[in-house]
Amino acid sequence: MSDTPKLYACLYAKEFPAQALLRLRPELHNLPCVVMDGEPPFQQICSLNTKARLLGMDHCMTRIEVDTFPNSVVLSRSIQTEAVTKGILLECAGAFSPHTEDLSEDTACICCIDISGTTNLFGPPEILANTLLERVRSLGISAQVSVSSNFHAAVCLAKGLSPRNPIQVIASGKESVVLAPLPLTVLDLTEPQKETFAFWGIHTLGMLAVLPEEELIARMGQEGKRLRQLAHGNCAHLFMPVELDFVLEELVELDTPVELLDSLLFVINVMLDQLVLRAKARILALASATITLSLEGGGSHSRTVRPALPSTDIQLWIKLLHLDLEAHPPHAAILAVTLHAEPGSTSKVQSGLFSPQLPEPTRLDVTLARISAIVGEGNLGRAVLEDTHAPEGFRIEPFALPARDSATIAPSQTQLSMRKLRPPETVSVRLQNSRPTALVYRERRYVVEHAYGPWLAEGDWWNQTLWGFEQWDIVARAQDGSLLCCCIMRDLMRDEWQMAALYD
Amino acid sequence: MPSASVLRLQIESALAHKIPSALTPAPKMVRPIAATGIEPLDNAMRGGLPVGAISELIGPECSGRTSVALSFLAQITVIGKVCAWVDVSNTFDPATAAAAGINLARLLWVRCGVSHPDAARARRDFVLPDRYFAPPPVKRGLHGGGFGSHPRNEVKGISDAVASLLQQETTAPRCAEPPRRTRLTQKTFEPNYPPSSTIRRQPSRSAKPWPRMEQALHVTDQLLQCGGFSAVVLDMGGMAPEFVSRVPLATWFRYRAAAERTQSSILLMTQHPCAKSSAELVLQLLPAEALCDEITVFTGIKSHVEMARQRFTQIADNILPLRKLPQSVNALSWHSRTSWTGRR
Repeated sequence: MSDTPKLYACLYAKEFPAQALLRLRPELHNLPCVVMDGEPPFQQICSLNTKARLLGMDHCMTRIEVDTFPNSVVLSRSIQTEAVTKGILLECAGAFSPHTEDLSEDTACICCIDISGTTNLFGPPEILANTLLERVRSLGISAQVSVSSNFHAAVCLAKGLSPRNPIQVIASGKESVVLAPLPLTVLDLTEPQKETFAFWGIHTLGMLAVLPEEELIARMGQEGKRLRQLAHGNCAHLFMPVELDFVLEELVELDTPVELLDSLLFVINVMLDQLVLRAKARILALASATITLSLEGGGSHSRTVRPALPSTDIQLWIKLLHLDLEAHPPHAAILAVTLHAEPGSTSKVQSGLFSPQLPEPTRLDVTLARISAIVGEGNLGRAVLEDTHAPEGFRIEPFALPARDSATIAPSQTQLSMRKLRPPETVSVRLQNSRPTALVYRERRYVVEHAYGPWLAEGDWWNQTLWGFEQWDIVARAQDGSLLCCCIMRDLMRDEWQMAALYD
Repeated sequence: MPSASVLRLQIESALAHKIPSALTPAPKMVRPIAATGIEPLDNAMRGGLPVGAISELIGPECSGRTSVALSFLAQITVIGKVCAWVDVSNTFDPATAAAAGINLARLLWVRCGVSHPDAARARRDFVLPDRYFAPPPVKRGLHGGGFGSHPRNEVKGISDAVASLLQQETTAPRCAEPPRRTRLTQKTFEPNYPPSSTIRRQPSRSAKPWPRMEQALHVTDQLLQCGGFSAVVLDMGGMAPEFVSRVPLATWFRYRAAAERTQSSILLMTQHPCAKSSAELVLQLLPAEALCDEITVFTGIKSHVEMARQRFTQIADNILPLRKLPQSVNALSWHSRTSWTGRR
C-alpha cells in the first residue's frame, strides 16, 4: 500500500429533490418552491428552497397548509430527475478522483471523494474544494464541501456546514475539535438513540465524545461505541467506490403540456447548456443529440441530430434541433423532454494552406437544415447514379463534404447535356411507317427533320415496377424556325408518347 | 462657399457608419476568372467566367446553355471545390452531369417545388383473373388416371355430351337457302393493368411557378450566406421569361454583393436577361443548329453565342487612341457533341 496520507472530500447537497427540479428552471429561482411527495391527498413537503423556508414553510406540511401561503410554487417530486441529477453530481465529483462513494439519503445527495495524492494535480485541499464547489455551482446545485483525513469526519462536517460558509478543511488530528460544536443530527441516529441522548442532555458531538466509553457501551451496545468514534472523528471506514458511466443526458418534466415548439426551445437551451458544460469538463464535444419528447396520451417522439463535426456551439445545436423538430413536429402536446447526447472528440481538422476553399462544416450543417426546411427533406443532397437503365436511375444522398478525391476526368470535348422533364410531358406524335414525322409539344407543332431510333429499353419485368420504353432522338423544327432537339419516349406499358428530355 | 470636394468629404463622413465611401465610385476590379472548359469561349472571355460575380447565360431551350454550365462545373469539381445547382424546374440530369465530367459528390443539388421526391416508380399490379385461380375440375374416369370413379359412371354425362354435339344449328329446321353463318366473335385478350387513358396526368407546367421560384431564391440566398461554394448555378432555363423577369432587381443586387463577399461565381440560366446591371457577364446564346454527322445517331448541336455584356474589360494600355479600338470578336460558336459520339 502507498504511504500517502488518506484525504477525503465530502460533497453534500441538501434539499436535493427541490434542487434537482429547480436546476433547469431558472425562472423559479426567486420564488418560494416546495416539492410534495406522497399519494394525494396525503401529500407532504419533502423538500423546499430557502425562499419557502423564510416564508415559514417546513418539511412534512400538508397540501392544505401549503395552500395558505400565497404565491408558492408547488412541484411534485420526480425520482427520475433526481437520479439524473445525482448522476451528474457524481460525474462531476468523478472528475477529481475515480474513487467516489455515493452515500445519498432520501432528500440529500452526499458523495465522498478519495482525494489522496491529488495535491500535484489540483493543488492543496482548499483549492480543490473551491474548484469542486464552483463546478457544482455551474451545474446549478448549491452544496457544501468538507475535507478531512477521516471519512466520517468529512461527512459529518459537511452535513453540519452552513450555506454561508460552504467549505471547511479539517487539519489532520483536529477532527474532534472541529466536530465538537456540531449537533447530533449530523449522525444518522435512530429514534430510540435520539430519545436516549435527549434524555441524557447530550446535544452536540463534543458532549458525546467526552462520555466514558465503557459505560456508553454498557448502555447502548457496540452502536454506542461507533457513535462515540464518529464524534471523535476516528471511526474507520471501508471505502466502496461507485462505477460511473459517462452518460450525457438531461430530463425535464414540464408542469403543463406544451404545444408550441418555440417555448420548448427555452427548456432545450438550458439543457444543452448543461450538457455542453459537462462535455467540456472532459474536453469533449457533442457529436449527436437525441431529443425524446414524451407526449400526451402515452406516445413519445424521438429525433436525432448529427452535424458533420462534434461541436460545443449551443446556438448551432439549438438551430439544428429547432429545424429538425419543425420539419418533424410531434403530434400531441409535450409532457417531458429528454435530451441525450453522444460525446465526440473536439479535435480540430487543420486544412491545408493550398487546399481549395470549402464551406465551413458547421455552417454547412445549418445551411443544409435550413434549405431542407425550405424545399422539403429529400430534395437536396448529392446524386448517386445507380446501375440501371431506368429513366430515373439515381438516388439522393445527404450532402457531406467529400473527404477524399475520387478521380474524375473531364471529357476532352464539350458534351451536349440533357434537361429532363419531370414528370414527362405528354406529346402527340404523328407516325409514318412507324417513324415520327411531326409532333405537337406545348401547343406548338414541330415537323421532324431527323428522327434517330427507336432505342428500346426495358427492365424490372420480374417486378411490379416493370418499365419499358421506346426512345427516339428527334431534331424538329417549328413553323417559326425554332429548333427542338429532344428525346421522346413511347411508354410501352401505357402506349403513350412523352417528352422525356430536351438536349440543351 | 465650400468646394465640391469639401462637401463630398462632409457627406461621406456623415454617412460613413451606414455606407462606407458613399460618393466614391467603386474601384474597377480585375476579377479572377475560372475556365469553362470550352476552348473558344474561354479564349473570347480571356480565360473564363468571372469569380465572385454573376454571369448570365441567356438563350432559348436547346441552345446549349446547360452544356456550358455543366462544363464550367466540371472544371470546378475537378480541382476539388464544391458547387451547388439550384434547380427551379427539376430538370437536372445526374447521368448527363456525370458524363460531362462533374464529380457528383461535390455537387449539391437542390430541387425546388418537388412535393414527393421519393415517389416510387409506378407500380403495376399484375393480377391474374380469378378463373385462373379456381382449381381445375376433378377429372373423372379412365382418362383421369387410375383411382378415379368407376367406369360405369362414364356413361353418366353421355346424353349431355350428345346434346351439345347436336347444336341448334344442326338440329334447327332450315329452309333451302343456305344458312346465314354467324361470324364467330373474336375473343380478345385485354391487358389487365388499369387503362392509362383515364389517368391523364396534368403537366406540371400549368401550375404557377411562384412557390418554386421563391424557394429557389431563398435557397440561393442561404448558399451564398454559407459561403464556400465556388459556383452556384441558378437554373431557371425552363421558366418562361414573364415569370423570371418579375424577380425584383434588388435580389440580383444582393446576390452580386454576396457573391463578391464569398468569392463564388453565380451562374444564372434564363431565357431572357433579368439581372440587368448586376450581371458582370452576359452570354446570349442564339438558336443552335443540329449536327447531322451520322445517319443513325444524334450527334449534337452547334451552339452560337454572343457576349452581350462584359463589365470591366481590361484595356491593355492607358492611352486612349483617337481611332476606335479594334473590337474583339464577340460572336463565336462551338460544337457540343453527345456523349456517345466519338472524338472527331
